Amino acid sequence: MIAIRHDDVDIGKLISEAKRPGTGAVVVFDGIVRDDDIREMDLEAYEEVALNELEKIAGDAKRLHNLLHVDIIHRIGRLSVGENILIIIVSAGHRQEAYAGSRYIIEEIKKGVPIWKKELTRDGGRWVPGEHPHGKGPAG
Amino acid sequence: MTVRVRFFARFRELLGTDISAEPAPGTVLADLVRDLAGRNREGYVAIFDEHGAFREFVIVMRNGKRIETAAAASTIVVDGDEIAVFPPVAGG
Repeated sequence: MIAIRHDDVDIGKLISEAKRPGTGAVVVFDGIVRDDDIREMDLEAYEEVALNELEKIAGDAKRLHNLLHVDIIHRIGRLSVGENILIIIVSAGHRQEAYAGSRYIIEEIKKGVPIWKKELTRDGGRWVPGEHPHGKGPAG
Repeated sequence: MTVRVRFFARFRELLGTDISAEPAPGTVLADLVRDLAGRNREGYVAIFDEHGAFREFVIVMRNGKRIETAAAASTIVVDGDEIAVFPPVAGG
């Protein structure tokens, strides 16, 4: 499943479905809302473009790292501390490929998929700064 | 001629999103965005520098494809275009 959605997913079910013939390893990345003295987080995406880019990243990861299966679910909307933001599940014949493929996917998402986060604090909110080629960008 | 302009994240908060603009034929992308951003001083300053050029971190897309901000000054928008303007991404 490659998706941008508000609702959470059943990670256990996705792990089961990722076990394709030939699987020797499944790696799960679960990015969650960290308690950085915030109440909640708002996530926003340029959905059509972000989804296309996630699909491209998944395809590239499969090809480059011999993955058997890829799930990428990025959540948007308002999330509380402890909730899942991003779930990446990959399966491969061997652990090296699975770890490398998972790492590739998260780093590619960080580089260029149009999604933004705003941390909501008691005093208001602050956009999480993104990276750009000239260094750390301004807050959102 | 109708062009859809979408701002995201902080730019959206300052300028709104999903704006339906009706630029004159021959309008270049940079001028269209400059005109819309000019409706809110803070929004304009967030996107453009003191010379009226896109700030180096600003990302511009036309119909879902990224274009260099330098090229926006010579890119003529056409009917049905969708322009997106946003700050560096921070997903994951």
